[in-house]
Amino acid sequence: MSGAERGSDRRTFLVTATAVGAAFVARAVQSQEPAAQQNFAPMEEGAYRPTLRAAKPDATPQLSDDERDVLEHRIKCQCGCPLDIYTCRTTDFTCSVSPAMHRDVMRLVAGGYDAKEILAAFVETYGEVALTEPTKQGFNWAGYLAPGIAMATGAIALTLFVRKWVADSRTAAAVRAGASMPGAASDAMSDDDRARLERALREDA
Amino acid sequence: MVLVGELSLWIALLMCAWSVTTSFAGGHLRRADLVASGERGLYAGVGFIGLASIGLWTALLTSDFSLRYVASFTSANLPVVYKISAFWGGQAGSMLFWCLVLAGYAGLATWANRKHNRELMPWVTGTNALVLLFFVATTALASNPFEHLDWVPPDGRGLNPQLQNPAMAIHPPLLYLGYVATAIPFGFAIAALVTRRLDAAWLGAVRRWSLVSWVFLTLGIVMGMWWAYVELGWGGYWMWDPVENASLLPWLTGTAFLHSIMIQEKRGMLRKWNVTLVVATFMLSVLGTFITRSGIIQSVHSFAQSPVGSWFATFMVLAIVATGILVSTRLKDLEAQAQLEAMISREAAFLYNNLVLVGIAFSVLWGTLFPILSEAVRGTKITVGESFFNAVNVPLGLLLLALTGIGPLIAWRKASVQNIQRQFVGPAAFGLIVGAALFVLGIRVMSPLIAWSLAAFVAGTIVQEFYKGVGARRRMYGEGAFMAFGRLVARNRRRYGGYIVHAGIVIIFSAFAGMAFKKEYDVTLADGETYRALDPYGRTWSFTSEGLSSAKQLNRQVVTVALRPEMNGRRLDIITSEKRQHFDSRGNPSFQPSTEVGILSRKDMDVYVVLAGVVQERAEIRIAFNPLVAWVWHGGVLMALGGLIVMWPQSEKRRQQGYVAALEPQPEVMSA
Repeated sequence: MSGAERGSDRRTFLVTATAVGAAFVARAVQSQEPAAQQNFAPMEEGAYRPTLRAAKPDATPQLSDDERDVLEHRIKCQCGCPLDIYTCRTTDFTCSVSPAMHRDVMRLVAGGYDAKEILAAFVETYGEVALTEPTKQGFNWAGYLAPGIAMATGAIALTLFVRKWVADSRTAAAVRAGASMPGAASDAMSDDDRARLERALREDA
Repeated sequence: MVLVGELSLWIALLMCAWSVTTSFAGGHLRRADLVASGERGLYAGVGFIGLASIGLWTALLTSDFSLRYVASFTSANLPVVYKISAFWGGQAGSMLFWCLVLAGYAGLATWANRKHNRELMPWVTGTNALVLLFFVATTALASNPFEHLDWVPPDGRGLNPQLQNPAMAIHPPLLYLGYVATAIPFGFAIAALVTRRLDAAWLGAVRRWSLVSWVFLTLGIVMGMWWAYVELGWGGYWMWDPVENASLLPWLTGTAFLHSIMIQEKRGMLRKWNVTLVVATFMLSVLGTFITRSGIIQSVHSFAQSPVGSWFATFMVLAIVATGILVSTRLKDLEAQAQLEAMISREAAFLYNNLVLVGIAFSVLWGTLFPILSEAVRGTKITVGESFFNAVNVPLGLLLLALTGIGPLIAWRKASVQNIQRQFVGPAAFGLIVGAALFVLGIRVMSPLIAWSLAAFVAGTIVQEFYKGVGARRRMYGEGAFMAFGRLVARNRRRYGGYIVHAGIVIIFSAFAGMAFKKEYDVTLADGETYRALDPYGRTWSFTSEGLSSAKQLNRQVVTVALRPEMNGRRLDIITSEKRQHFDSRGNPSFQPSTEVGILSRKDMDVYVVLAGVVQERAEIRIAFNPLVAWVWHGGVLMALGGLIVMWPQSEKRRQQGYVAALEPQPEVMSA
């Protein structure tokens, strides 16, 4: 191909590419949709839903204040933030959801409910999303077990590979060593090996 | 200038398309003129993306509210520094920022290799231009920062107050510099696969770019932790938030690659694995950007609605399929040359190090995406929180810490029993002594006890290595200790820079473990009232309220509480915490009030004060004692410093003369 032809090809290619590109851009500009530009999830002030239960007969609190705080670390604030209700209510005083959920926890504690029952009550109200970690049941086990299974599988597979590589390497080294020493290979053969080789060669013949 | 910027974005799109076409055609047809044209097209694309960026910055600085982006993320009274940082404060701007950084890197990689790797470069340039084309196209077509509103509002909505923090002006660029740098090794990997030049040569070009990415990711992650700590006010620096996880993923696989690359360089092994890691690191960077900007994790439905989400998903699928085809058709070229000689060798230790790093990456990715999976499979929304990630990753992290000490002490090829005894006795004894001492001192919580014992062991290995190296130089050259130390590092940057990174890891893990002993108190104080509390070290603190004050600063009204702390009766600096209500330029409140944390930072712990709110002239305050936090930042900086030392180029003269190899005292471990 001559230089002139090559230059001509390049010009043709450039013109075609520009035309196709311009048509593409024009069409794209016409059909352009407004992009979603929300930076953070907005606070959902209306996300609070009461979690109320009648107090148990002769109710006495089952949890101390410290145990209640620990429990609140296991319940997620529903305002849209990533925090549990204890952290949220003690960090962000503008959130109305975590204090309201905290009041529900207080009422349930005063009503004689234990930690397990309080968690169940919140799940009933909001669904599993009320918990800071998935319940250990059903499909959620996949979430808990998959990393461990993957690591164990990886460790076993890697160990097998490493052993195989080491064995292959030793075999190769032995062959190399054998090849470099006159008579070494035949010396390494046992009487059984010789007999087996003879048999195999006779059968082939 | 804004119009020029807008047009430049579209021209950049065409330039990238041109560069992709001519570079790939030039590489395939082996035509130097097409290759050169592709490179020029890329340089032109770089220039036009630069112009587009200048256009957006101009719009932000001149408060051109006719642009939706400017009206969404700035206001007329926003301080100038945050008008500049608003460039990456929203999705469309951050997409353009991705383009700008990638354009810079791609241009630099092409220019730096104008005389090297010429067989690879058409494919490298083409791949880089293709990635750039995708990002420019996504920016221009799905998330355009130059999109106009139907009218010009008198003012904008302003920047989220949590982003009005100096760390937020630095953290995203650092993270993006890290994310985007992974594209260049990806380009080289594709080029090596296409041309079947899969020997160690391409790794030389890739290694430094991987280190660039790693250093920036490290700094970006640490800076992000610092921002979360000082700005969000919840009292910690890492909560396994999807966005945090997204930044950790490429760091983990990138770290794995920087270790496994050594095995290929020295032993010719792990070619498939290294290509896989390079591709995975890039894909996880793209995934990280996608997670950060698409909102996919909060809801499956936002993924379907987001125009950017479908673009990213398509790109990732196509890239994975294309790479998979390339790898599968070149399996023979990727066969290992050497084999492992012993189970106990540095190669094997690095393999297990890779397993743990990739295992952590998998568990983080799995935990991050599991809510989506759950919603898709069961239709039930769930939350995967801190406790899940800690349960899985703390043991793996401890294992990784142990391997950080074990790996460098084991010899390449095969370690003898005597060698292992010689190398390990000192550090292991030190680790055990520290563990026993901590136990005697009353530390009974297992995770920190193990973490500090292992940290002592790893610190012992690092000190031992430096001690031997410095000693050898002093004997051989009669140098003073400081001179020997400096030259030891300077003349074997990869090895000793790596140890400095490991020292940073030790410091960071030790600091993480300290948070197990965090103590916090919820307090209500009126002016002049005092609250007493015990810190984790058993010392008594008192906090006396100096009262509340209110003032107008810049674009916000600030309520401040001042606490006078005393530790065991000794007066310390006043701690102030603020509640800020931001206003727009007409004085109307914008956004929810935000918190500015007060921190008294000490070597042993931080005193962390949060003004949660004010009720009837009484300040509602949370006071937390956070042990060893300052060491997280020190460790992070040390890690980045070590990475820089590893990355710093050796002079050509010295490299050619084999100066390093000749002069460097070889520790016994290397020759065992």
